[in-house]
Amino acid sequence: MRVSHQIIALLALAGLLALSACAQLKALPNLPASHPEELARGAVSCSECHEDQQSGSMKPFAAFNHTQTFIKNHRFYAGSDEVLCASCHKVSFCADCHSHKTDMKPSTKYGSRPDRMMPHRGDFLTLHKIEGKLDPASCYRCHGRGNNEQCVACHR
Amino acid sequence: MKKALFCRLFPLLLLTTVPAAALAESSVDSTTILRVRQDARAGFETQTLVPLTQYLGVDIDKLGDGNLSAHLYGWGRLDLDDSMDTVDNPDRFDGSLSYGYLQYRFNYANARARAGRFFVTEGIANELVDGITARTDLPYGFGVSAFGGATVHTVDIPGMATDGKGDGIFGGRVNYRHKGMLELGLSGLYESKAPEPAAPGSAADSFGSHRLLGGDIWLKPHNMVQISGHTSYNTETQQIAEHSYLLQVTPSKELVLAANFDEQNNRDYFYSSLLFANMIRNLGRDSRTAGASASYTLGKAEISGDFKHYSRETGKAQRFGGELRGTLLDNSVRTGFGYHYLRSSPDFAVAGSASGSFHEVRAYALCDTKGYFAALDAIGYFFKKPVENSDSAWELLGSLGYHLTPAFELSGDLSYGQNPQYDDELKGLLRVTYNMNTGKGGTK
Repeated sequence: MRVSHQIIALLALAGLLALSACAQLKALPNLPASHPEELARGAVSCSECHEDQQSGSMKPFAAFNHTQTFIKNHRFYAGSDEVLCASCHKVSFCADCHSHKTDMKPSTKYGSRPDRMMPHRGDFLTLHKIEGKLDPASCYRCHGRGNNEQCVACHR
Repeated sequence: MKKALFCRLFPLLLLTTVPAAALAESSVDSTTILRVRQDARAGFETQTLVPLTQYLGVDIDKLGDGNLSAHLYGWGRLDLDDSMDTVDNPDRFDGSLSYGYLQYRFNYANARARAGRFFVTEGIANELVDGITARTDLPYGFGVSAFGGATVHTVDIPGMATDGKGDGIFGGRVNYRHKGMLELGLSGLYESKAPEPAAPGSAADSFGSHRLLGGDIWLKPHNMVQISGHTSYNTETQQIAEHSYLLQVTPSKELVLAANFDEQNNRDYFYSSLLFANMIRNLGRDSRTAGASASYTLGKAEISGDFKHYSRETGKAQRFGGELRGTLLDNSVRTGFGYHYLRSSPDFAVAGSASGSFHEVRAYALCDTKGYFAALDAIGYFFKKPVENSDSAWELLGSLGYHLTPAFELSGDLSYGQNPQYDDELKGLLRVTYNMNTGKGGTK
């Protein structure tokens, strides 16, 4: 079976599941569209306020505490919990770094926020010649197939 | 021509959102940045660069029946100087619409639909699409999402007459969750046939269509243990593209221990990127990293240590170090210090240098009061062997600003540094930020 047929079959199966379950959907709760309370300045952790009670199929709040480990590995959460992320973060929070085309380094745009984890601080023009060879996937993970103009100026 | 038209229409498009924003719950985030930089490199004509960049994000909620919303974010830049930097800024005007879509959010099951330009981060998909997407939770712990539309093209790779992307893309993810203990996901994406590069020989056997299948997992078998990760499979090369997994152990609320493992089969992982496919010959076959970290939170301070081992066919390297972060006075003062050392084989060195090893030292402090805010940030890279005749690359940045109102602030940054590219690098910028929100609650 061709790969395109496999993916279409997968999506058809998903659609069938969705249809058959439609009648029960209204019983399933929504996460809030935005955080009901004002959020504190700087990084906050969910369990500072939320008791770690698990409800339905939701993951425990403590799993989303913004430790350094969480921040450095946030890609694992973004791939499956974007709805929860969106309760506190606007999409532009992601787009500051993850964009197919940028005008300046995020650390330049947010020079007044050195506490935020921003990639490419300092002279990354020199550093990327080492880091790119060391772990090219780390470049690709964020830049994807952006082929941004700064890259293609040298990488032809 | 298209770019110039976009740059003229973009501000106009954003202005049209203002009346709607006034009627509904809305937020507007505007940042205007004027940079000033003098570029004086030996052998090149000295240039003064004065780009003015406008970032604008608009979110208009509760339109129509209250469930419809509009979201827009992008930037435009105008170079105020006459001379142009032909490397970084080949055009006097530039801009980009990062995203812009209408969203309908249903009252149940976290169901929503979007139409327009949006990011997709579902499972192994990480794409920008002009099209439609929808997702919903389903009974019994299941969930489903799907997207489809046109790919967002970027600049062509020089000499290839294409950016390497097909014109259409679709995909989706199905997932199953069980009681906050387990999530399993299966995702896939299919992009239409990749264009033929103008110089096909240069990327022979290493470049092709973007078609992936993947599985992801989140597992919490015990209150202290959490495993997350994914594996992707390239259906074009019929090989595993990537494994990426993270194990976290939290023996106490304050202590987080983590171990991670990543492995990429380079040809299969970078297969749909014409840019990376062109470099693949020097990348080797496999990339593997394994690491561990520990972080301990003590009151308002967090101390962490980490180690990572890089293994490539071209060489090996290790990075280790630590970081201390702290906050004071209800988060209004934030400070941090970090040190890392990369011990690398010469295979990863910058061309002409005898070593790829370097020390990295960083310290910062930031104070944010109701009136003013100020920040100092110092970062230095100290090379074990000179890189382009320099022993180090360092930068010191100072920022000072004032909250004119809770929503409106004015700030300026000044930085000075020395590095292999520049004997002296002095940069400055002025920043005007306006963040208005007429809705309730908080969103960052």
